[in-house]
Amino acid sequence: MNTATQTYSGKAAPEDRLSPSEREERAMAEFAHHFGAYTATNLESCIHCGMCADACHYYIATEDPKYTPILKAEPFKQAYRRESGAFAPFFKLFGLKKKVTTEQLEEWQELLFDSCSQCGRCSLICPMGIEVAEMIEIGRRGMAAAGLAPKPLMDRAKHQAETGQPEESDRPYSEVLQDIARDHDLNVALDKDKADILLCLPRTDLEQNPESVAAMIKIFNKLGVSYTFRSDALIAENYGYYAGSRGLQKRITKRITDAAKKLGAKLVIVPECGHAYTALRWQAAEILGEELPFRVRHVTEFLAEQLEAGKLKLSKVNGESFAFHDPCQLVRKGGIMDAPRQLMDAMGVNLLEMHNKKGFSFCCGGGGGVNDLDSARELRSRAQQLKLREIDDTGAKRFLTSCSDCRVSFNEAGEHYDWNKKTESLIELVATQIKE
Amino acid sequence: MTLLEFSRGTMLHIALIVFVFGVLWRLVTTFMLGWRKRKSEWRTSAGQSAVKGAIAVGNRSWPHPEFLNRTAFGEAVGYGYHIGLFAIVLLGAPHVVFWKNLFGINASWWPTIPSGIISVVSVVTIFLLLIATIRRYMPPPLRRISNFDDWFTLVILFTLMITGVMAVFGIGGRYELILAAHIIAFNVLLIWFPFSKLMHAFYILPARFFIGYTHAKKGAST
Amino acid sequence: MSTSNRKERPTIGQIMDENGVGRRRFLKYCAGITALMAMPPGMTAAFAQQLRAARRPTVIYMPFQECTGCLESLTRSFAPSLESLIFETISLDYNHTLQAAAGHAAEEARHEAMKEAWGEYILICDGSIPTKLDGIYGASAGHSFVDQLHEAAEGAAAIVAVGVCASYGGVGAAYPNPTGAVGVSDIIKNKPIINVPGCPPIPEVMTGTLVSFLASGVPELDKHLRPKAFFGNTIHDRCYRRRFYDTGLFAESFDDEGARNGWCLYKLGCRGPTTYNACATIKWNGGTSWPVESGHGCLGCSEPDFWDQGGFYEPVTSKLFNDTGQIAGAAAAGVAVGAAAALAANRRKKKLSGQVDKETSS
Ligand code: SF4
Ligand code: SF4
Ligand code: SF4
Ligand code: SF4
Repeated sequence: MNTATQTYSGKAAPEDRLSPSEREERAMAEFAHHFGAYTATNLESCIHCGMCADACHYYIATEDPKYTPILKAEPFKQAYRRESGAFAPFFKLFGLKKKVTTEQLEEWQELLFDSCSQCGRCSLICPMGIEVAEMIEIGRRGMAAAGLAPKPLMDRAKHQAETGQPEESDRPYSEVLQDIARDHDLNVALDKDKADILLCLPRTDLEQNPESVAAMIKIFNKLGVSYTFRSDALIAENYGYYAGSRGLQKRITKRITDAAKKLGAKLVIVPECGHAYTALRWQAAEILGEELPFRVRHVTEFLAEQLEAGKLKLSKVNGESFAFHDPCQLVRKGGIMDAPRQLMDAMGVNLLEMHNKKGFSFCCGGGGGVNDLDSARELRSRAQQLKLREIDDTGAKRFLTSCSDCRVSFNEAGEHYDWNKKTESLIELVATQIKE
Repeated sequence: MTLLEFSRGTMLHIALIVFVFGVLWRLVTTFMLGWRKRKSEWRTSAGQSAVKGAIAVGNRSWPHPEFLNRTAFGEAVGYGYHIGLFAIVLLGAPHVVFWKNLFGINASWWPTIPSGIISVVSVVTIFLLLIATIRRYMPPPLRRISNFDDWFTLVILFTLMITGVMAVFGIGGRYELILAAHIIAFNVLLIWFPFSKLMHAFYILPARFFIGYTHAKKGAST
Repeated sequence: MSTSNRKERPTIGQIMDENGVGRRRFLKYCAGITALMAMPPGMTAAFAQQLRAARRPTVIYMPFQECTGCLESLTRSFAPSLESLIFETISLDYNHTLQAAAGHAAEEARHEAMKEAWGEYILICDGSIPTKLDGIYGASAGHSFVDQLHEAAEGAAAIVAVGVCASYGGVGAAYPNPTGAVGVSDIIKNKPIINVPGCPPIPEVMTGTLVSFLASGVPELDKHLRPKAFFGNTIHDRCYRRRFYDTGLFAESFDDEGARNGWCLYKLGCRGPTTYNACATIKWNGGTSWPVESGHGCLGCSEPDFWDQGGFYEPVTSKLFNDTGQIAGAAAAGVAVGAAAALAANRRKKKLSGQVDKETSS
């Protein structure tokens, strides 16, 4: 029992053969990378009021104190206090803050991955204005650097960095895309050399929601814009981001940004996937260290622009009532507050808002890679119950969202709780209501 | 040298020196740890974001109604004792006199509250602090994240409050000793300040500003 | 106290009788004293009896570094009360200032009196005792005050230090205390000492203390050796302006409306809250008035070190240090150390993060 690999009893033991001290060094290196005035201000400010717990769906669902958000950031905080803070030498000298150990990191794996969907709700409640979610994210990055990110996420991230898709599939996803287009009698622009717009797709939709994929193609065809999908940059999700690996995230990001540059694209459209939006819209330029020569927009954002410009015409749906789930990454963290509602408005959707809406919306329970972790299933479904109840409380008949990952989560929850609603895609609805 | 003399003489002097030294040390280090330049395409200009950041500094004090069903009690207690402490410290006549003397200012505009009211506020504040202490122990998340810093700070606050009330009501011993104890507790607070969570009194400004600023740049919720 | 080969001194009762002081009048006087000392009324008779039985003591009054204010205060108060008689009764066998004799004759008289009542006399001192340079700052008849005090204390049954100077050093001991002035109890450690501080002390407090000592020995003292009976409460506790303090009505200057309305003088530096004395109850000049009543804050004159507690017009919580740039220095040092710590931290950051890929910086 002398190496972490042996002692590690987590649900997904790492395959690498790193010694505990190597892991610690790597985690520390990653943490150190994030030291700076901004993170310091956040880490110095906590007054231990415990309020962040009251924002987190995992805590609310379980009332287990270990899910208190700021506690999840502890390893990073500890590293900061010991190595970077104003009194770091004293913390070190008197052992007031211990070195972050491999055991500790292992203990935190569940807290950093299984029980945080990176939804950012905790950052909203903190009376001190601490970016709790970001501190947790840095914790994940340390874990990934130490080789302690959950295996399912890490494996997919590596695979995606190598091959462009997170997992082996029977056929390449570009073929799947063509099949879907064919099945729906659609022409799809794939692998063009020049285009104004680069489109990508959630692999979840390619695999599970062909209607959604078809909707994207249909809409963009109808708009008559110059777009293309690229086989080498088709998948929107970024498992590097889920796993917390900066290196892998960067490689995966580069697939899309390189393709867009080569195309001379002015715009990259992120499909219905929240984390893809965060990764591309807010983190790509940072992680690449350069300004991007194109804009990044979420499909709903783009469509709302088109709507305003009069280029997109939508017909009204019948008077049925809808509830809408604001995906955390798009709305609370992404700033897309109005676009989905503009689209729904244009379609005459009778929207019944949830108690926690827009920036305050509860997470679907499965974002940030949580959906991919079997170990998180039970916790996830408890958190989902909260959300389902809120949706039901609106009294709406139908339920919409604009993130495929949320959809996966809701589908799972729906099955688990025998829910009477189906989760529908906003884009699909737009596609059906688009005027000929 | 009497204890009172020591407390408002040498010890107060040392406490102020430690306070000023420590606070600046901690703050200067924090802000010199390097800034990253962000490169994303922003939704909001830097200027406007800065305005929103400044707004967030004040706004965060006003809890979002979405959270209140879970946090109202804690907020009320927290608010209560903060307001109580501020009222006592900034508007109680003996304290005002103390500050004026300490800063060497005349400030005849500085208002005071009748000490009868201050006494009531003090007792209420002690009571609220007591609830806050119990709360630190009762709800599991709070207990889980509480550390020595939290407890020790509470001990100092209680000592300060209780000696203050004792001095006012003339209970528990000779006035000059109680007063000395009160001032010593304050000195301990000053000395403990830079090294403890009490620094939140300073950090609250940049922390709130940053979240307001960065979120405004992305158009995200604050 | 062996008195074998000395002539018997009359008791106080005998002297009273000789002077035609009736029992009732004497009792009334005793009632006054016991009331001042807040003794229960039932104690008066016993007190009177004890006092009557007490023998007329020998009292040696020695002035040191003083201003005669205490003696003034003491002598001013007597006429026309019985107190003067009592005072005469206790008889100052030696008092430099009051007695007619001077020079060698006076010294001789003192030594005579001391010798006669060796081990029994009461030594009253006023004024501080300068100790620097072997006490050279204060001397009479070729002997320093320190030596004289040692000598006189040697044969005393008890010492009463009258005034804040004899008690704690007083104004003479104020910073920088050039003469090294101290109080009696700083020098004499092996005799019972009663301090009756004040600048000056209230006459009734002085006589009351003496009389009660005659009647029943050393009274109960506080930690500064003051009789608790007179120094048990603060001025503030008994101040008639207290209700204004409690309601937060303060005079802000000596000529404002608050001052005219008799509001609390706390903000004008009143030391009442930390001063133990009987001014607010016994008052001055035979109960006519007292400092706070006449519109000025208490200076704290019965407290040790009252002379070095900041300006008299600065409040009782005012800072008592002289900052000659130390705080500014601390600020500069804080900034410097903070910057150094940050530089060190940034270097450490570079070292620690060395292995992670270099192009991405955040
Ligand atoms: S980001 Fe969301 S899931 Fe993570 S700790 Fe905060 S509230 Fe909980
Ligand atoms: S809400 Fe903010 S200040 Fe309170 S415990 Fe959480 S992170 Fe700390
Ligand atoms: S005047 Fe002085 S003694 Fe009287 S109440 Fe005010 S502070 Fe106290
Ligand atoms: S009021 Fe204060 S300063 Fe004045 S005589 Fe009395 S004790 Fe001394």
